Amino acid sequence: MNRNRAALSLLLIVAIGLFTIFFSSCRGKSMNGMVILTQYAGEIKKGNYFSGDSWRYISQANIVAIDPGKPEKPVKLLTGGFYSALSPDISYDAGSMLFSAQQKQNDPWQIWEMNLNNMKIKQVFSSLENCIDPAYLPGGRILFSKIDMKETMKAGHSLYTCNLDGSDLKRVTFNPHTYFASSVLKDGRVVTISRQLFPDNRDPVLMVLRPDGTKSELFYKGLEGSILQSRIRETTNGNIIFTESDSDTLSGGNLISVKYNRPLHSRVNLTSEIKGSFGPPFPLNSGKLMVSYRSPEAKTYSLYEFDPDKKSLGSVLYSNADYNVLEAVAVETHDRPKKLPSEVDFGVKSGLLFCQDINFTDPLSVSSVSVLNAGMIEVLGIDSTLGVVNVEKDGSVYLKVIADTPFRIQTIDEKGKVLNGPGGWIWLRPNERRGCVGCHEDREIVPENRLSMSVKNPPVVIPVHISKIAEKKISLE
Amino acid sequence: MKTSKLLLIFGILFVVGLAIYFPGRKIARKHVNTKTAVEDHPLLCISCHLYTSKNPLVSKLINADYYSPFNMAVSKNGDRLYVVAQEANTLMVVDPESHKVLNKIKVGEYPHSVVIDDRGEKAYVSNQWSDNVSVIDLAKSKVVDTLLTGNGPAGLSLSADDKLLYIVNSFSSDVTVIDLNTGEERKRFTAGNNPTGTQLSPDGKTLYVTSRRALLAPYGDTLKSELTVIDESRQRVTERKTIESAYIMENIAFTPGGDLAIITLIRPKNLVPSIQVEQGWMMTYGIGIVEQKENGRVIQLLLDEPNAYYCDPFDIVISPDGKKAFISNSGVNCISVVDIDSVRSLIAEATPEVVKTYSNNLGISSRYVIKRIKTGADPKGLVLSPDGKRLYVAEQLEDRIGVINTETLEKINSIDLGGPRRITVARQGRRLFNNSGHTFQNQFDCYTCHPDMHEDGLVYNMASKDMGRNLTNTQSLRDIGDTPPFKWNGKNQTVYKQDGMRFSTVLTRTEQFSYNNLDAITAYIITGIHYPPNLQYNPEGKLTESQLRGKDLFERSKDNTGKIIPENNRCITCHPPPYFTNLKLASVGTLAISDDSIQFDTPHLNNIFASPPYLHDGRAATLEEIWTKYGKEDKHGLANDMTKNQLNDLVDYLKSLRAPAYEHKSSKLYHASF
Repeated sequence: MNRNRAALSLLLIVAIGLFTIFFSSCRGKSMNGMVILTQYAGEIKKGNYFSGDSWRYISQANIVAIDPGKPEKPVKLLTGGFYSALSPDISYDAGSMLFSAQQKQNDPWQIWEMNLNNMKIKQVFSSLENCIDPAYLPGGRILFSKIDMKETMKAGHSLYTCNLDGSDLKRVTFNPHTYFASSVLKDGRVVTISRQLFPDNRDPVLMVLRPDGTKSELFYKGLEGSILQSRIRETTNGNIIFTESDSDTLSGGNLISVKYNRPLHSRVNLTSEIKGSFGPPFPLNSGKLMVSYRSPEAKTYSLYEFDPDKKSLGSVLYSNADYNVLEAVAVETHDRPKKLPSEVDFGVKSGLLFCQDINFTDPLSVSSVSVLNAGMIEVLGIDSTLGVVNVEKDGSVYLKVIADTPFRIQTIDEKGKVLNGPGGWIWLRPNERRGCVGCHEDREIVPENRLSMSVKNPPVVIPVHISKIAEKKISLE
Repeated sequence: MKTSKLLLIFGILFVVGLAIYFPGRKIARKHVNTKTAVEDHPLLCISCHLYTSKNPLVSKLINADYYSPFNMAVSKNGDRLYVVAQEANTLMVVDPESHKVLNKIKVGEYPHSVVIDDRGEKAYVSNQWSDNVSVIDLAKSKVVDTLLTGNGPAGLSLSADDKLLYIVNSFSSDVTVIDLNTGEERKRFTAGNNPTGTQLSPDGKTLYVTSRRALLAPYGDTLKSELTVIDESRQRVTERKTIESAYIMENIAFTPGGDLAIITLIRPKNLVPSIQVEQGWMMTYGIGIVEQKENGRVIQLLLDEPNAYYCDPFDIVISPDGKKAFISNSGVNCISVVDIDSVRSLIAEATPEVVKTYSNNLGISSRYVIKRIKTGADPKGLVLSPDGKRLYVAEQLEDRIGVINTETLEKINSIDLGGPRRITVARQGRRLFNNSGHTFQNQFDCYTCHPDMHEDGLVYNMASKDMGRNLTNTQSLRDIGDTPPFKWNGKNQTVYKQDGMRFSTVLTRTEQFSYNNLDAITAYIITGIHYPPNLQYNPEGKLTESQLRGKDLFERSKDNTGKIIPENNRCITCHPPPYFTNLKLASVGTLAISDDSIQFDTPHLNNIFASPPYLHDGRAATLEEIWTKYGKEDKHGLANDMTKNQLNDLVDYLKSLRAPAYEHKSSKLYHASF
């Protein structure tokens, strides 16, 4: 009797186990191997880099999934409940997707995350203002562009980061630029399209910065007048690919490749021999690319395979005569970028900037101004000067600047005449320490190994009209 | 009844287990948190208590004996490779066709280099930790003679007629010339600081000797390293070339035509505040082109790229046609291939002003580096087959020889030397130590500032609070496992903390080590880095008379007038054996204005002779200066009463200090190779 009871109990336990395994395996269907893309009907209107309209805010767009191995299968609509949805980004484990979307026509654009196993969607972050172009950061955080209409800094979209649950929102860019279409490099830095808006509009460039907003620097500058358009993608063989147009249509252009190792001087136009217009690319593990392409005859963009080595278009992966197909991403696991440590300390109210020699100009740089002999620099803020600072005899200067404040530097000779500049906008994060070699053109120059006079003394506080920045005590490393 | 008893016992055990488990876990958590300075390191007892164990039995069980190929030579017809297996104290004879190890010939301690005579009859192997050269009869595969050298013999070169052997003594910083007919030392020249590489020019007239450490100079002076030029026919030093802003010049090679000599080098940024890694702010790596003509220039070119650094260049060989140079970048596991004609045209067209900027230009390498060829872990010595078609690479931490086709520039094969297949935790730690993959853009690794796991002789502006403050003299990592705390200010109680999160925030500036990797690198640092014997000042363990007098002074309790020296001002109080540190913090009156208010971790003193400059910021060029220039207030031990002779004796004694393992040979630890 007891034996029977024991056997029965055992059987029951096994049955419950199998039942659990069965149902847990049916919890959701993996979308691995699928391709997710944005599609929309009609032409994109001429865009505006400041507002992003309508280039980053395409009306009535949908995010859909296709199975490239089974073209006969119907397209799966993923964002049916939204008025418009764009910019999918797949998590490193391919288990979820970030995107930006409007629920209703006049709603602000917000950041959403979809669980790709069960298709459940949650809003990551709630704002009254538009939030777009989300991207996963390592360490459970995300990055996105957000426009701040109350902004006094004359910026367009600034970059923000927050946790995946929307908490710990941090703004990370602080200059009068606008930032779009960011992605994360394998080295852990953010690469983003950036365009100066004040005091004058300049051509967009690619900037890199650490996810905490420190160490922002130029990554790539296109041909004069060119427009950078797509999200930047890094291939498995060390190339960075994106689209660039020599017009301002914002709807497509050429496919450009630069080397990660030397992005400023390795530009290759992969599609110069192909007529038509290219949209955002996505690197496949095979080494080939998925790319949106519209031939001169076609009305809409379709999704193609592209061989970057042969610079040739391959087969059509997906096409729909009624829709433009953009922003394709493969649902596959990919390497997580490095999670960079942060030097930012919000207990500190300033950052330090050291310039080794403001008079240094690289003789290899054609556009170098003639030999400079500046004795001072002026630090310029958005609306006013932040002070004039004497430079040491060796050309070095060492500043302590209030954090998260944009400034530019121009060099001045002893008679007060401006010699060079002002340069680009800089900001320092709290406790950031940053160095530059000089006010030179070529960013490939490293510092000379020498002891600079300026660092033998305390830094000059900027703005100069305040004598001290209240800081907390920093513990010695 | 029985069941109920069993249940009762089980129940008691369960309750006792619970009672122990939760508080025990809490205690363990607290203990691990203290040791690692983080709160989420896995509670894995073996991380510390097994992997870092120095118990001979445990060490033998968890470690393995690797070969660690270092340098190589090839026979004239190319049918034999001679591989220096550094950690096996062996010269391995390898058939490169069949990939078989034909012979293993025991040589001295820690062999460094091998050269073969022109007739292929003899091999000479320098034994860096034995202060001698093994002479091997290749037909018999047997050591037939041992030649005494200076201290730390490293690079070797035979004269064109094979009558003289030039031996570069890396520890005593000189070059020994041995007459191979008599086996006697004929001459000795002073070389640069810590010399290693040497090469005879193709015409057999000039011998170059590279050096690794920069010449000692006050902090702030331009870094200078010496390239020693020797006239081979007269055996005289004809020139001491100064290579500015560079050091760790490991090796040198001549083009077959003899118009250029090319050296590997590192260009450190120790004088620049270490505030970032971006834009080559910490280290850059390159080559020095030494023009072989009257008033020939020395032009430095970087191997790096703006977002990629090619860490720790070690060896260089040049193809027989003089077209390509192959350089092993040990820290990034690759070979950089340089097109020499491109270098020629680049430097020919450049004005002096432009040439000067090349050495700091990360983009210029795209004009002459034509390929990066991936290798196994830690590529060191290189050798080309006589026809130049094969490049052999000593993959030190792989126990393999990589084979590269020099036409296709692809790695085509590997010769397995037969070392252990398993990678032990400490070996993994050594791989991490020697690899820059854990630094932003691979800019440097532990080995870069700690070559030979020692120190590089430089003082760095670590910019810990403000820039220009808290200068830091690099410390040796040899045998530091039992000498906590670490750093000059003793702020890190364990190696786990030293190499943990803050390390990545302020130094490597990329993702921190995973805990598995942190365990591995800690295991290696604590158990795998040993002192070389102090053959220079204490070869036998028997002190000289001067050293004995110095020992008395070191241990004295009364000054020259008979007054009692306060206990805390005696050398022996803070520097007791066996490591000559009491593991405590102290104030010794050497705090600089640019230092934050700190006390100093009392440093260990074994092999201290090999670690100039001295004091936390490297201000003392010699041991003597610690007292004559920087100890005038007698805060760093009472010494001002000493006569010059007494001070000499004290310094002599300090130089004699050596690792405990050599003092107690009977209790010598199991010396695994890592």
